[in-house]
Formats: sequence, C-alpha cells, structure tokens
Amino acid sequence: MKFPNVPMLTICRLSLLPILAMASRAAENPTYNRDIRPILSDKCFQCHGPDAAKREGDLRLDLREEAVKAGAIVPGKPAESELVTRIHERDPKEVMPPPESPRQLNPAERETLVRWIEQGAEYQPLWSFNPLPASVPLPEVKNPDWAKNEIDRFIAARLDLESISPAREAAPERWLRRATFDLTGLPPTSVDIDAFFADKAPGARERAVDRLLASPRYGEKMAVDWLDVARYADSFGYQSDLDTQAWPYRDWVIEAFNENLPWDQFITWQIAGDLLPNPTRNQIIATAFNRIHRKTQEGGSVEAEYRQEGIADRVHTFGTTFLALTFECTRCHDHKYDPLTMRDYYSMGAFFNSIDEWGLLHGNGSIQPNPVLFLTNPEQDKTMAEQAAAVATAEKSLATKMQELEPAFQAWLAAPGAEMADMSGSYDLDAKDKDEFANAVDIKRPAKSSDKNKLVPGQRGQALSFTGDDPLSLGNHGVIHQEDAFTVVFWLKPGEITKRSLVFHNSAGYDPGYNGFELLLEDGKLRWMVAREWPGNCIAVRTKDTLKVNTWSHVVVSYDGSSRAAGLKISLDGGTAEIETLRDQLTRNCGSASAFTFGERVRDSGLRGGAVDDIRIFNRPITPLEIKAIQQDKPLAGVIAETPRDEAGLALLRSYYFSAADPTIRAATADLKKLRQARRQTIDGVRELPVMKEMPEARPAHILARGAYDHPEGEPLPRVTPAALPPFPAGQAVNRLGLARWLTEPNHPLTARVQVNRVWQHFFGRGLVSTAENFGSQGEIPSHPELLDWLSRDFITHQWDLKRLCRQIVLSASYRQDSRVSTALRQKDPANILLARGPSKRLSGEDLRDQALAVSGLLQSRIGGPPAKPYLPASATWRVLNSFLPEYQRDKAPDIYRRSLYTYWRRTAPPPGMLAFDVPGRDVCTVRRQQTNTPLQPLVMLNDPQFVEASRGLAIRMIREGGTDFPSRARWAFREILGREPVEQENHLLTELHDTQLDIFRKDPKQAEAYLKVGDLAAPPEIPAIDLAAATVLANALLNLDEAITLR
Amino acid sequence: MATAPDPLFVTRRHFLSKLSAGLGGFALSSLLSGKTAAVDLPGFAPKAKRVIYLFMSGGPAQQDLFDDKPLLRQRNGEALPDSVRAGQRLTGMSGNQAVLPLAGSHFKFSPYGKNGTQLSELLPHTGGVIDDLCLIRSMFTEAINHDPAMTFFQTGSQIAGRPSLGSWIHYGLGSMNENLPAFVVLVTKKPTDQPLYSRLWGSGFLDSRYQGVRFSSGKEAVFYLANPDGICGTGRRALLDKLAGLNQISYQNELDPEIESRIVQYEMAYRMQTSVPEATSIDGEAKSVLDLYGPDVSQPGTFAANCLQARRMAERGVRFIQLYHPGWDSHSGLPQALPKLAREVDQPCAGLITDLKQRGMLEDTLVICGGEFGRTSYSQGVLTKDTYGRDHHPRCFSMWMAGGGVKPGIVHGATDDFGYNITENPVHVHDLHATILHLMGIDHTRLTYFHQGRHFRLTDVAGTLVKGILA
Repeated sequence: MKFPNVPMLTICRLSLLPILAMASRAAENPTYNRDIRPILSDKCFQCHGPDAAKREGDLRLDLREEAVKAGAIVPGKPAESELVTRIHERDPKEVMPPPESPRQLNPAERETLVRWIEQGAEYQPLWSFNPLPASVPLPEVKNPDWAKNEIDRFIAARLDLESISPAREAAPERWLRRATFDLTGLPPTSVDIDAFFADKAPGARERAVDRLLASPRYGEKMAVDWLDVARYADSFGYQSDLDTQAWPYRDWVIEAFNENLPWDQFITWQIAGDLLPNPTRNQIIATAFNRIHRKTQEGGSVEAEYRQEGIADRVHTFGTTFLALTFECTRCHDHKYDPLTMRDYYSMGAFFNSIDEWGLLHGNGSIQPNPVLFLTNPEQDKTMAEQAAAVATAEKSLATKMQELEPAFQAWLAAPGAEMADMSGSYDLDAKDKDEFANAVDIKRPAKSSDKNKLVPGQRGQALSFTGDDPLSLGNHGVIHQEDAFTVVFWLKPGEITKRSLVFHNSAGYDPGYNGFELLLEDGKLRWMVAREWPGNCIAVRTKDTLKVNTWSHVVVSYDGSSRAAGLKISLDGGTAEIETLRDQLTRNCGSASAFTFGERVRDSGLRGGAVDDIRIFNRPITPLEIKAIQQDKPLAGVIAETPRDEAGLALLRSYYFSAADPTIRAATADLKKLRQARRQTIDGVRELPVMKEMPEARPAHILARGAYDHPEGEPLPRVTPAALPPFPAGQAVNRLGLARWLTEPNHPLTARVQVNRVWQHFFGRGLVSTAENFGSQGEIPSHPELLDWLSRDFITHQWDLKRLCRQIVLSASYRQDSRVSTALRQKDPANILLARGPSKRLSGEDLRDQALAVSGLLQSRIGGPPAKPYLPASATWRVLNSFLPEYQRDKAPDIYRRSLYTYWRRTAPPPGMLAFDVPGRDVCTVRRQQTNTPLQPLVMLNDPQFVEASRGLAIRMIREGGTDFPSRARWAFREILGREPVEQENHLLTELHDTQLDIFRKDPKQAEAYLKVGDLAAPPEIPAIDLAAATVLANALLNLDEAITLR
Repeated sequence: MATAPDPLFVTRRHFLSKLSAGLGGFALSSLLSGKTAAVDLPGFAPKAKRVIYLFMSGGPAQQDLFDDKPLLRQRNGEALPDSVRAGQRLTGMSGNQAVLPLAGSHFKFSPYGKNGTQLSELLPHTGGVIDDLCLIRSMFTEAINHDPAMTFFQTGSQIAGRPSLGSWIHYGLGSMNENLPAFVVLVTKKPTDQPLYSRLWGSGFLDSRYQGVRFSSGKEAVFYLANPDGICGTGRRALLDKLAGLNQISYQNELDPEIESRIVQYEMAYRMQTSVPEATSIDGEAKSVLDLYGPDVSQPGTFAANCLQARRMAERGVRFIQLYHPGWDSHSGLPQALPKLAREVDQPCAGLITDLKQRGMLEDTLVICGGEFGRTSYSQGVLTKDTYGRDHHPRCFSMWMAGGGVKPGIVHGATDDFGYNITENPVHVHDLHATILHLMGIDHTRLTYFHQGRHFRLTDVAGTLVKGILA
C-alpha cells in the first residue's frame, strides 16, 4: 500500500484473492476460480477472451479446450506451454502482455500461472454460473457451541482454518443498537432498551428482533437500499429536471417490505406486474421500476436516441440488480470477460422495448410519459364510473332520439332551411390588409400572417403560399379540450412531398413533444391527430391516398369530441377519404391548445412551398351535404334541393338536419359534451404514474452497432436470455413475465445469491461477495461460498422470506460479535472478511439525520406521500444553478421532520448534506454505497440548521425528562443517543463541555438567543436561554460522537 | 512535486504511527505531510501542477469570436449548400427549418499578436494576451444537446455516472494543500439560460471525496461552512476539544483507526472554516491586480471575481479549479447578446493570464477556456439585417489553452470557409482530455479505476495526445 490516497479497490482485490495472503506471494495450490481466473481475466481476456471481434492471434484463453488446442497451455508441462514462454519473454515484440498494456503480470502471478499449468491447468466454470446446490452440508467446527444458527457454522469453519477464534459477544445494548439501526434505521429508544433488559426470559433477543421486524420503520429502512438499486428519484434528471411524481412506487416498496412480500414476487411484480392475470393496482405500480430512469425534454433531442437510452437503462438495471452482471459492457461489443454477447444484450433489450412510449418528456411537466396508471382514489373511481356510464347512455340515446324525431325531420323536409350553422371562422385569403386577412364570420377576429408568406393565385381568388417558417394564425375558436368538436375546411396545394410537414395545428409544446390537435402531411398522406402524447395517449388516423404536389385538393377534417379514432374524419375533394387508424387511445385531456395555426409550428417542419385557400372553421363535425356545398362552391339550399329523395339522399339530408337544425338533437349533443367535459374534469384531477404496459405486438429489436440508436444491424432479434445461463422455462410466455419466471426459478444460479449477498452487505457492511454489483469474472469470488449457497438455498426453500433471512442474520453469533479487535487481528484482516469480529460501519446520511430527528422528539412517523422539502442552504436551492426549475419552497413543520428517505431527491441538485455522506445521485442503479470520511461531514453535523434544531429538541427533552441536575441530564441524553450509560471519564468531559458553553453564553446571552433561533422549533419560554443553549451544544456534541456516527 | 495530503481524504495510515499523540489540538501539519500521489502511475515529468478550467457553458459562437469566416458575410442569407452539410444531423430546433440561411458575423475581426491571429473585436483583451494562448480552432464533439455535451466534456461520457475531469485528476494526483479541497468549482452568479448540474463536478463511481466542492459567492462559500448563529470561535473550539477527548476514549476502547481519522476530519473542518474565508477574501489584493480583471472584479460572483478567486485557489494549492460561465446559448438575437457576454469574460480571462504570468505561475498552471460545442454558421430562426441566431454545432468549434506545457502563441487546426467542417488537425474531446492528463504528467491510458469489472478511463477506449500543441 504505497500511497494512501487511492487504490482502495486495488487493495481490496489483492487482499481478497487468496484471502489474507499478500499479493506478492504465489499461490501454493492454485485453483482456477480463486487464483487463475482473476489473473487471466484482468490481464489476458481483453485480447484473448470471449469477445470474438477483438480477439488477437485467434487465441482464446477463457476456454481450456481452445487454449490447449492452440498450444498456449500444455497441461502438466509448463515448459512446453507457449503461454509460459510468452509471459517470461524478454523480447518486447514477443512478451505477453505486450509492454504497452497497462496491465502487466507481477512475478508472483507468473509463478502462480506456471504452478497451475504444472498441476494440470484445470479450469472451473465461473462460480456464480454454477448451479445452486439443492442442499449444502453444514461444516464441522471445532467449537459447535459457539454457533447460534447455521450461519455460524460456516463462519466458524473458515475461522478454524485460519486458527482464529471469533470475538466475544458484544454487550447486549450494543447488539440492540446495531440490530435496531440495521432493521429500522433508527436508534433504540430508552423505552426499547428498558424493555429489552427487563425481559429476562429466554428468547429476549428473538422477541426484540420480532418487534423490530414488525415495526413499520423496517420497511422504510429496507426501502432505502432498494431505492438506490431502482435509481428512484423525484425528478427526471436532465436539463429542466421535471418532477417524476413517482413516489407511489416508493411507497409501494416500503409497503412490500413491511408486508414481507416474498422476494420472488417482489421481483416479478416489478419486472412484469402488468402482465400478471388481472393485475392489482400495486402489481402495476411496481412496474414503475422500469420507468423511473432519467428522461430528457431538452429541445433538439432525438426521440429515438433517448428511447433507446431508456431501454438500455432498463437492461443495465436489470443486469446489475438481479444478475449482478455488467450488461453495459456488451452494448458495443461482446463481453471482454464474461460469457455475454452483444446479441444477448439486445435480445434482453427486446423484453423491455415494447411499451408504446415516447423517448422524450413533454416540456411543461404536466404530462407524465405514457403508458401511465391512473392513481384514482375510491371517490374518483366512483365518479368516473358514473360519468362514463352517463356518457355512454347519452351517446346511445342520441341514436334513439333521432329515430323518435323522424316526424320532425319529415316536417323540415317539407320546407328545408339551409343554414351553415356553427361556423366560427371563414377566411377567403384573397386580400391582405397589413398583416391581416379578413374573417367573414367575425371581422374583429382576423387571421394574421407575416409578410414572408405570399399571396398567390388560388383555387378561388388568391391563396396564401407558405415559406415553411412563418405561420398563419386564426386564433383559438374555442377548441381546447378533448371533448371539443370541430371541423376545419380548406383548399390545400402541397409544394413538396416530405417525410413530414405541418399543415395546421392547435397545440402546445415544442419539439420534444406537442400536444393538442394537428394535421400533418407525411409522405403526402394526411395524418389527423388529437394527442395528449404521441404515441401512447392519442387518437390518430391517416389517409391511404397521397395528395398530389402542386395540385389543389379540398380537405375537410373533423373531430366529434368522442375521444375515439372513429370520431376523426377526413374528406378529400368532396368524398370521404379512406383512412387507417394509427392509434386509438386517448384517456385524458389532450392539453392546453393555443390557436389554429397553418403552415408553421415551433421547431416542426412547416408547409414549405405549399399553399392554402378558403379556410372555414366550424364548432361541429359538418356533414357531407355541407362539405359538398363548400367544395363545389354552391349555396347549401341548392345542394339540399338537388339531393334526391331516395334512401341515400334522405340519409344525407337526415344527417344534415340533425346535426345543423334539429333543436332537440342539438341540445342533446350539447348535453353530451357537458357530460364528457365533467368526466374529463374528474380525470384532470387524477394523478398518473408511468408504468409498463405491453404493446399488442412487440417492437422489433436489433443489434445496434456501437450502441448507436441509428445503426441497427441484421435481422430483428427474438427475446432470449443469455445462453450461458439456464434455459428459458418451457411453457412460459416469451415476455417480461416469462423473464421474471425464468429469474425466480428455484434453480437459477444468480437471483437468490445476488439478493442474499446484498442483504448480507446490508448487515455486515460488506457482501460475502464484496463486489455486490458484479458476480462476473472480474468481480470478487465469495469469501464464504458455501455459506452464500446455503443461505440462498434456504431463502428459496422458505418462500423467499426476507424477514426470515434478516432474522437469521441478526440472531447469529457472527452478527452478535463485538467489533472490537486486537490491532494484530485488525492488521491481518482489516476489511473483516473472515468475520472474526462483529460489523462496524458508518451510518448512512439518512440514518444520521433520522437519528438526530428521532432523539429530538421531532421525527414524524407518517409513511409515504409526496416528497418532503426540508432545510437547504440558500446556495443549494434549486434555481441557483438552473432557472428552469421551480423555486425551492421549503416545507414547514412537521413536514421538515419526516424521515430522510422522503426528502425530495432532485437528480440535478441533490441535497448537499446527503451527498456529503455518500448517498448516491440516483442517476443510475447503485447496489453498493461508498463510505467516506471527509471534513464536509462535520460541517453538516455541526452547522446544518437541521442538526442544530434537532440538538435543541434533544436539549429540551433533556431538561424536561432528564432530571433536575446536570449530571443526570447528561447521562440521560447520552443514553438516548448511544443506548448506554457514560463512563466516569466521559461524564467528566461532558461536564467540562457544558460548563465551558454555559460560561460563554453567560458572558454573551445574546449569542444564546441567536443560537436558539436557528431552525423553526421555538425555544420554550420557561427554559432559560443560556441553559438551553448550553444544553443544545452538548446535545450537538453527542450527535457528533464517533459512537453516534458509527455503528459498532 | 511537493504535495500535501488532500483535506478531504486522510486515511488511517496517517495515524498508525501517531496513535499515542495527544489529540486535543495537535499540529495537523506534521501529520499531513508526505507524498499522496494517488496512483502508481509510470509517468513523465508533469508540465502543469494545476488546472484552471474556464467553462463557457451554452456553447460560444466561434464564428463571432475566434474563427473568422469572411465567406459567411459575402454569402449572407444564402442557403447552406447541401454539399457542405453532407447530411450531418441537425438538432430538432433548426433541423426542420425550411431554409438554413448562412449568417455572416456582424463583428469585425482584426489581427493580434506576433502572428497576427484574427480575433473578434469583442475580444480585445484576449487579443492582448494572444501570444500566451494556444488557440484550437478544430475542436469537435459527439453530442448535439447541452446536457449530454456538457456531461461528455466534463466526464468523457454523454451518460451520467462517470467521474468528472477534476475528480479524475484529484484521484490521480491527490491534493497539494491541507486547508482547501483539491477540486473547487465556481459558477458565475447570473440568471442562467442553460442549467448546470452538480453531477458535472461529481465523482461518479469514484469515492465521493473526489467530487468538486462548489464555492459560492454568498455569505457562506461552502455549504454549512459557517458556525450557526450564536456559536463563536471559542465555543466551537471548546466543543471540538471535548469531542476529540470523548472520541479518544472511544478509540482507546475500540482501537479502530477510523476514529482517529474522524477526529482529524473534525479538525480539518475547523481549519476550513478559517482557510476558506481567507482564501476567498480579496481584501489584500493590490489595486493594480484587481484592475487586471476589470471593473466587475469587486462584485462577488461575477466571472471576473471568480477568475481572481481561481488564481487565489491556485496559489493555495488547489489542484483543479473549475469555473462555469453560462449564457452562451445564442439561438436568437446573437448580435445583441454576444457583446455583453464577451465583455463579461474577455478582460477577466486576459487578466487571469497576466496575473498568473506575473507571479510566475503560468508555466505550471494549465488554463483552459471553451464551451461544450460550437454554433452553426447558418441562422436558426429568422435572419434579418439586424439579427441572427445560431443553433448547436458539434462538428467544429474553438477553445484556447495557456500555460502548463502548452505551446504559446499558436493556432492549431482549421475549419472550412463555411465554418462547418474541420479541414485540419481535428481535436476530439477525448484527445483534449488525453492531452490535459498528459500535461499533468499522467498517461491517460493508465489512469484507471476498477469499477463493475472494468478498468474505466476518462478517455474510455479512445483519446490521442495532441502533440502539436505541446511546448
């Protein structure tokens, strides 16, 4: 360990391989997994490993057969093995690894390789891919009495090998503090401690653990680890960093832990809850696991690129979370170390790519990315059901009413009127006055266009020709919501056929996503759409025929306000156009529309070189007779008159009559709109959560060259799991649900091992596999492989019961050990790999803040709900670095006293007090936190108003509850925080500290008052300010004790 | 190189030999000497000890500042020829425009320095120090939007989660001082058009001790630095002494060196409470020095003030000083906006160079200035007689470097007459990173961190040293 500053990981790796052996010593009897694979993998596989594309000299060393065939290895004969020759070669052209490689062999490693070849060069499969044994025998140990349960047999057996004895048992209060923090994230209260010591009957510890496991605080504590894994955050993480509003998922995680949902189901719900038969709301909420990755709304972003980025994130998260494999390595090439290919990667992606999603976020934050789940409350459910029924009834009764009103129609037919009802705008575009075009319906509301759009000869008189960058705006016409029916009629002459040009729109948004009403020309076909979000929440149709360039077509598009694709109509040159339905799912409002605008939309491609003439807008879907009149430029009365009174003609007349003239039907239609509006308004108030929802047909997936979204290669890939892992279970659907079934098969080699290892890490601060994120060839091998297997098998056998697993660990003799250790043993095993002592670890950022709040008496017990916004330094509030963000509106009491897992996690500006204590940024999946010790940490603990205020809360309690004299108060507070009585020397120092502070505040009482004003909590008037201030400093000092910060 | 340990990182090793020392108010400096070079890097002599990186976030328009294109003025308003664009992708912001009209700069260029380097009239002070600068006109990047482009420039990857340049250098070389963080971030205080994110100076998968510490211009330079109201220095000192005493009892009981380390961190925090205000106070700066940075220097939080802060940090051994000056995202109204932006940075940049040079610090301080990408030669939105805007352009843009082993007074690389493509000596972001590390004495292929089974590098699997700019 030459330099102290960095190579922590390197140190860990070296010290681990042959456990406790120094790296400078060659292994006596090298085994492949323990000694050889780490060397070959790190130094050789890069060029002689699984990645065929980068393989040098057609030699691969990861397969024995290949290595032997090539003569690189001659088992038993190192002298004849090319590998041995090359690693000892002096010629820089011949030596391996080549001199330019940053990873060179040291003499011990060379010797180990030689010895291994000498002993037969036996390979072993990657340990983590080995089948999980059906049972694991318990090892014999020298002192079976020490063991409290099976775990201890494995720990003791390993210690026996090293001739080390386990540490003595930790003091009971110490164990209680350890178990209470590990299971609930909070210190034991004095009541808990008293009860624990009062319980003299056998099984007191078991009862204490059962109490902790039953506490709702358990779910909150366990959720924190999982939220790191799920990269849960309250904002999307790019540029404008919009709110995810995903906290119902967070709350579900807490609940699942508290309910002890079996782990296989916990996994299955998150991967594929939506695909379970008749899924419950919680099962669907759980799938938000796949949707809370980062997402951008930055202008100019490419949708397909970020959609692919989201899919990649799902694959990486899946790989790390459930398999502890580094799938990200295979995005651009086959894995350099593990038996995973680029094909595996994209085949895995094929499980996660088939939701009808848009790769970008809509800019204003009001639209959550689809597919979504409506998070209705029971009242909303009831209202929505009633309203839906009312709408359906009204829709049906319209048809019935028309039949009943046949006599009225007949009466009208005798002397038909001919009114162009409901026209709200009519623009002939024949003449421009400054920048205005007259509106024949309302002269006060003319259309407007810039000078760049020019008047040209039109279909009738003049028409307006568009540059593509300049709009013609017609104002709003009262079309805003999804229930608003209307028709737009005009002549259109396309100037060119492009992939996409905008004809008109009435929508909001910018290039990452528009929402509202829009008519596009796509390769000459008209696409007519009402969208909340394309493609996941909209109705859209497209003509089958193509419009001709430089030819006038008469276009009528209408929408009936039904939120159904069937309500979208297109008429071309007087006849109903043949259309195909692209999407038919509009479940809530299409958003705030702006104005009918032709020819241009911000950052969209406009109607370059195209022209438009004679625009009319109606607030109703107009009927074929009206369309004919307009298209043929005839008076409507004439068209009505000339319509034959045969069956077809009568149908046209009837349609016109009921739509435009019959007062009863028109009133009923208006009523129907009101019902639809009421329903829409109810849904407007419903929160939504992005979840998984499979498309009817899977989207094709491809290998992407260099991982680039725009470089698909080869044929579409089927969904398959990596060949190196067990086969996909027969009879399962090849979708995410099948994937979850595959993962939770009782013989899957990774799922249980990975989870058990993370649970072990939770309690011991270090996994049995220290690289909890990587069980591959470059990861560490387990320190206690049999224990890992035993626990994994036991976990599966007992229905993946997580609480049971926690209980086993916490009650084991291994966990009960004292963490104190002789310097000699500490130096022998600094990382406590052998577990000859109990765990010790620094509390997390959340634990530390929660502890302070708990002992202050301020901590709130309410579970879940929207995130809390506690104190932040002014220079860390959201808008300081990002003017796109809202103001940080700090909450008031009691919300500022909620547990830290509820603190708003803004990915682009996380709370600095949490970052200082290594809480990960939640940008990507994290399964292991760092543990640092920096000077920024004391600054938080001593100066953050949250800690100062909590210290005051504790001081108030100390004065009220801790007795009347200082020594008893100090003892009381000490025990509240640390769970034990202070020793005399400590008492002495506490008294000195208190006396000094009293002295300082007495000399300057204003300072005491100032100190008591930090934070919202008011100082009680009955406690003298000087006393309270001095007690607060004392309380703050106690919170800053190493013993309060470190769990030992 | 005489280096002192990093205040954000004191390992147990420092204490093992000092366990018996009294811990009340012990002299830290004696404990904290010694080499802390982080990685056993087979290196070469470093040219630069420290970096000051002036990040112009938003993407300055090279055509209006550093890379004159007379052709754009001649053909102002004509459409960008398809042959020049050659199908390269545009952003969604201008990619759908019906026409892409070439926009000639409204600003005059004139020659500066002994080589007559053409610079915009907006940069007279920069022109005054041009002989100290190495102007690169052939930078290019892969990202076309701010967030990924800044993330790429600062971490070598467009996707969040990798350590920033400053973190890598901190990790690679350790700290040179015992009172201040090794990696300090200063952001100009102004309404931002494009946001900045803490991950840009984050440590990614490296330990969080390597993350940049943002200094703000307010009453408290570092989060939670100041004692709470009502706590005086004496009171705090007394608390720390007793706390150390109590922790010492724990140490005697536990024999865990982490406890010793914790005591030291508390001392370090205490020292930062003094050293940071000292470092950030400009009371002692001579007027002649202040004048170098221009009139804004006395206003805390301006770019000028931050440049002066950067020099002060550099003097005090801060390894990596990262400044951000936002506002360069000139999608529209560029001729109106750019003069003010240029004024905000021109004199401070030149002042920093001059100040460093006068103190003999320029030779071992690497100064870097530039944005995350360039801007288009065509106008985004309407081109009129009076105004134009420019969209993001990743395919060529300009940066400059100075000091620390960089060849002064040269121009490296060139672009075509349309200012659209590079014609000679392209410099990729990875190349720039490789070169920065090289100047710091680090082989970029050997500065690695083992994470998730892979030896990660700042330069990923790419990066070529830009030899042409080495002194």
